[in-house]
Order: sequence, then C-alpha cells, then structure tokens
Amino acid sequence: MMRPQTHQHAPHRSTGAGSTPGHSSPALEWIWKYLSDLPSPRIMDCGPVSQATVDVLVRRGAKIHVADLITPLLRDEAQFWDRRGKIASFRTDFFLSQLLPIAPESLTGIFAWNLFDLLPHEAHAQVAARWFSFLRPGGLLFCIVREPRLEKGSETTWWLENLTTLGSGREGTKAFAYAVVTNREVERLAPGASVKTFLTRSGRREVVVVIQGDSTTGQN
Amino acid sequence: MWWEKKSRGAGPQDEKDASLTVVSSHPSASLADPAPRNVEMPTANYNHTVIGRSMVLHGELSGKEDLLIEGQFAGTINLPENCVTVGAGGEVKAEVRARQVIVQGAVTGNISAGEKIEIRKTGHVVGDLVAAAIAIEDGAFFKGSIDIVREQAHHAAAAAASQPVLRELE
Repeated sequence: MMRPQTHQHAPHRSTGAGSTPGHSSPALEWIWKYLSDLPSPRIMDCGPVSQATVDVLVRRGAKIHVADLITPLLRDEAQFWDRRGKIASFRTDFFLSQLLPIAPESLTGIFAWNLFDLLPHEAHAQVAARWFSFLRPGGLLFCIVREPRLEKGSETTWWLENLTTLGSGREGTKAFAYAVVTNREVERLAPGASVKTFLTRSGRREVVVVIQGDSTTGQN
Repeated sequence: MWWEKKSRGAGPQDEKDASLTVVSSHPSASLADPAPRNVEMPTANYNHTVIGRSMVLHGELSGKEDLLIEGQFAGTINLPENCVTVGAGGEVKAEVRARQVIVQGAVTGNISAGEKIEIRKTGHVVGDLVAAAIAIEDGAFFKGSIDIVREQAHHAAAAAASQPVLRELE
C-alpha cells in the first residue's frame, strides 16, 4: 500500500516578500491519507498555475490538469457579467466554458482553493454540479472558504508547498465581494456527499467534499 | 527548407524584417535566452533557424536545427533532437514535439518534449504538456494537463512510433 508522502520539499515559491509562511493543512493531511492507496491520482488545479504545486503533485505521482479559473475572477473580467439588464448577472455558462474539456468521472480530486469566495452565490450550484460531474465515485473537492470575521484578502492566492502544507500570497487588502459561504450552503451543493470542514487559524475553513463511492475504483 | 525559401522570396519590407530575424548566435549561446528584439546579430554557422516577426507560416515543420519563433506558425513542429523557443511575440497553433521547448509567447496545442518544457512568465499555453521536466514561472498562463514521463519512456515511445517505418525500409 502506498503511504502518503509527507516529506518536505523546498518550495519554488519561497516565503518571501510576496507570500506568508506556509501553514500545515489538516484538510490536506486528510486528503492524502484518504488517497494513500492511489499511486496516480488525477487532480485538477483551479488556481493560478504554480511551479511549487506542480512539483509537489508530480512527486506524488499525480496526473495534473490546470484550469486557472481564479485569475480571471480576481481581475473581475467584464466578460463574465451580463450588464444588459438593470442588475448585472453572472454568466455562469460562459465562466464554465473556460474549463478544460474533461471526461465525466475522470478526476480523483479538484483543488478549487478559494474559488467559492470569489463567485457570486447564485453561480455556486451550477459550478459545483459541473465539478462533481468530473469526479469519479469517491472523488473529492477541496476548497477554502473564509470565516465571517475575515473581511479582506479576496486576492490571496494559494498553492502547495508540500503535500500537507499550504502556501499563500501575502494577505490582500481587497474586500470580499460576496457574503460568507456557510457550511450549510456547501452541504446543499453536494447532496449525498460527505462534507468535512476543518477549522484553521487563518480565518478560513478548509472544506473537503467527498462524492459517494470507492475512491480506488476505476483508477488508472 | 520550404519556409526559409518563402521568407527569402518576400517583398522588400519582408526582407527588411527578415534581416532582423537572421539571428545566428555564437555556438555557445542558447535559444533559451533569445536576443532582444531589433538587435541584429552576426551570422554564424550555429544551426538554428528563426521565424521572424512578420512571418506567418502554415504547415509541417521538421528538421535538425533549433528553432526560434517570433512570428506566427500553425501546423505541426517535429524537432525531436532540438530546442524550440517561442519568443515573446510568437504565436503558435501547433502540435509541438521537440527535445526542449521554451515558451515566452503564446502556444495553443499539445507540447511534447524529451527533456524539458519551460513556460516563462510572459508565456501563455493552452494544451497538454508531456515532458521529463516542466518549469513554469510565476505569472505564466497555462491551461491543460501535465504529464511527466521519464526520458527513457519518452524515447521508448518515440522508438515504438518509428518502428513501422523501419520495417517498411527493411
């Protein structure tokens, strides 16, 4: 049985001026134990491409799909908004069209990072449904959502410094545009799934949503 | 090569641009750090070829020289023993197969490298990457999948691909 690799690697994106010291992630610890029997998990990274994350996942033997959905949202690209009406509406279909063509039930895990904090709530259900369609039975979604007390820092980006340590950019000053995503909302996004919430000291919760089924079935 | 002839046959303006593209470097120099734009460098016998900024090429490109693309190329690139560099102004829509690939411009298409793929901070890549090593600078844009294969496996795959041809030759 393959054990989770938890040894430290020198991060490519060091904790310098543009980043904060990495911190241990209880969710990641749980994830890699959960996936310990899988030699080659297929992971989709929805954050800005990071050499550190790629290196960590490659060493773990993962096949990586990178689909940066966060950078366009941080730029608040006008293309995602339909402003023809009195109230601008988020173009969820167009947003999802930015994703890679990925076969249904082909991924072991999706690292969504803080994407839910950056999306209007009305888009959550559709985005989550699309993601879950990519996941194999037993597959998981990892995301980070802010606590109510955290009002600024929406532009903070995340990466893996090693399998169980998260790196993050310097805490930003930009206010969050949308209300806090509650645990109940997350549970509603994934009916029938197992939702695990891990509290951290960073003002954020780490959430792992596990789709029903055996994670070891159908793996390459 | 056909596309070299095409560039030489261009008009006066193109000749002017083409003169900028005759970037032959010192043998010790590498295409990994291409010369700044508008800097004409002396011709030497170092084997590499440049597709200049004004060039728009379509087709299949193969050979045994390193390649720097500053213009536009669409099709397939097959330089398994050489380095392909897409300069900051380069736009490539192609399947690229090379020993090493460095992207500073835009590439749409799958890239396969026997050794290494580098996406620099100005690079924009949409496609799947297969290589023994991959380096992506902060700030680069990449959308696609990453497959790290050992060089041995890469060679084995290449050998397997060439097997039917060898049989035909025999």
